[in-house]
Amino acid sequence: MTPPVAERSAYPVSPTIQAAAKPMLPGRRRDFLAGASRLAAATMLAAAAGLAGVLARAVWQANGGSADGTPYAGGAGWETIGPAVAGTLWLALATAALALPIGLGTALYLEEYARPKRRAVRAFQAAVAHLAGVPSVVYGVAGLVVLVHGLSAGRSIFAGGLALAALALPTVVATSAEAIRAVPDDLRTAAYGLGATRWQVVRHQVLPAAAAPIAAGACAAITRTAGEAAPLLVLGATSFATFAPAGPGDPLVSLPTQVFAWAVRPQAEFAAQAAGAAIALLAILLGLNVAGLFLRRRLRKVLP
Amino acid sequence: MVARTVTRPLFLEGTGGPGARADRVARRVFLACAALTGGTAAVVLGVLAVGAAQFFAEAPAGGFFAGTTWAPFAEEPRFGVWPLVAATSRITIGAILVAAPLGLLSAVYLQHYAGRRTGAVVAAAVAALASVPTVVFGYVALNAATPLLRLVWPGAEAFNGASATLVVGLMIAPTVAFLGREALAAVPPAYFHAGMALGASRGRVVALVVAPAAARGIAAAVLLAMARAVGETMIVTMAAGSHAGLAWSPLEGVRTLTAFVAQTSLGDIAPDGPDFRAVAAVAALLFVVTYAMHAAGRALLARRPAGSAHP
Repeated sequence: MTPPVAERSAYPVSPTIQAAAKPMLPGRRRDFLAGASRLAAATMLAAAAGLAGVLARAVWQANGGSADGTPYAGGAGWETIGPAVAGTLWLALATAALALPIGLGTALYLEEYARPKRRAVRAFQAAVAHLAGVPSVVYGVAGLVVLVHGLSAGRSIFAGGLALAALALPTVVATSAEAIRAVPDDLRTAAYGLGATRWQVVRHQVLPAAAAPIAAGACAAITRTAGEAAPLLVLGATSFATFAPAGPGDPLVSLPTQVFAWAVRPQAEFAAQAAGAAIALLAILLGLNVAGLFLRRRLRKVLP
Repeated sequence: MVARTVTRPLFLEGTGGPGARADRVARRVFLACAALTGGTAAVVLGVLAVGAAQFFAEAPAGGFFAGTTWAPFAEEPRFGVWPLVAATSRITIGAILVAAPLGLLSAVYLQHYAGRRTGAVVAAAVAALASVPTVVFGYVALNAATPLLRLVWPGAEAFNGASATLVVGLMIAPTVAFLGREALAAVPPAYFHAGMALGASRGRVVALVVAPAAARGIAAAVLLAMARAVGETMIVTMAAGSHAGLAWSPLEGVRTLTAFVAQTSLGDIAPDGPDFRAVAAVAALLFVVTYAMHAAGRALLARRPAGSAHP
């Protein structure tokens, strides 16, 4: 049911005019998109709720929710997923420590230092940007050859962190470059006019003005790579972690690969453990997202 | 893309003014970062290129692209990649048939129908779905989608193409919704208002005025989402099976390009063995296809939408 013209219009429309206009208005009686688009939105809501429900149900059944009240052996407790949680936090830290400075530095060089009209610069920028569309499993294959076998880094947190950083790098470069490009040129012209060097312009004008979107973009990239399982599986993440990794040299273990390793087993206990690990992973990603949101707001508040 | 109006003062380089030393150091550091980024890209490309070159030195390229049997590790190895390509195409096309209507209609809802409150709730749900790792979707495909499917069609195999397709569609729908909404939002509001002023219903205005003006962005949204579906690894690895045949029924198992790479690499491959060469060749094919799709999608986005010159 579409509301009559009078309710949708900013100006009052007399009933007479409405009645006269009614047959002339094409498709006024039925808005075919109204129902369809509501249905699609409802499906999205249902999908998100259903996903949460599937995970919660599996864990609830495993941890004492079953008919006789006894939890399955193992369950989805901290003892089983703790090492993987630590591994994922280490990997996120390594990704942030590597991809953020290198990506930002690259974007600054491309946007502020390199001559933008030069064809090689634009080609390089485009090439890096489109790397963001390459599947993560491909980075795993390259990482296996270069890191695990070439550098003999082994199947370690270090190798996993490097592979994930390489995966996040194109996205960090692209989002940072976009943020830098959005800084008004008046700021630069004014600073150069006062005799500032390029570095002074970058340090005191460009970076403060672009800090919030840069942080948001980097945080999104890190959150996305922290949930990646495919490259770590190819690198050879272990699925039997008995202790939490304490440093970059320890065996590669992570929540996403743990979810995979448990989910593909046929036994119900392992499915519950996979669901528990998935919930822990979602919680960590949510935490990273919220941290990024706060960082962004704070950077925007402090700076002019 | 914002037009550059400032010419950077190139004369500053090499002068000994105040801050010149810091400026030189900073330039070198940033150049080193750019070199590292380029180096990383070159290493990834190089590994794939070398592996693929070794592969094609053994297996003829004609058999790779035209052959219909993929059995690289058999006694008599056959390197026809067609079954893998067919599986990837079917899952991608099936997924976009789910995701395009779902995502685009959600975008229309968010942009043109939703009230402030419900709109925020739906947008949050879409954002939440977009940030769910694919391995979690894989879990859902295996533990929820497949059992449900087998309730409806008891003949479905435990690993089948249909549930993987459905869940991949669900996974890429937020991408379509997000990019589609951006495309709709980029259409000047005057178009919408003019249509409404003519007395057409909201649905007619959106379908016949706003959507055509946003066609480029909508096409880009669909293309970029399809690129994600092609590269999607975990859902198909977990739920679609590992049988590299040319199955016609969606209820049977299929093996995609990405699933082959992931499932083969799980078994600890050595970088000088035949299995690595096959993996590298398939990975190189994936690289080329997804890179091209992403580049095409971005090129569509970079062009200004119709009418934006006359706001």
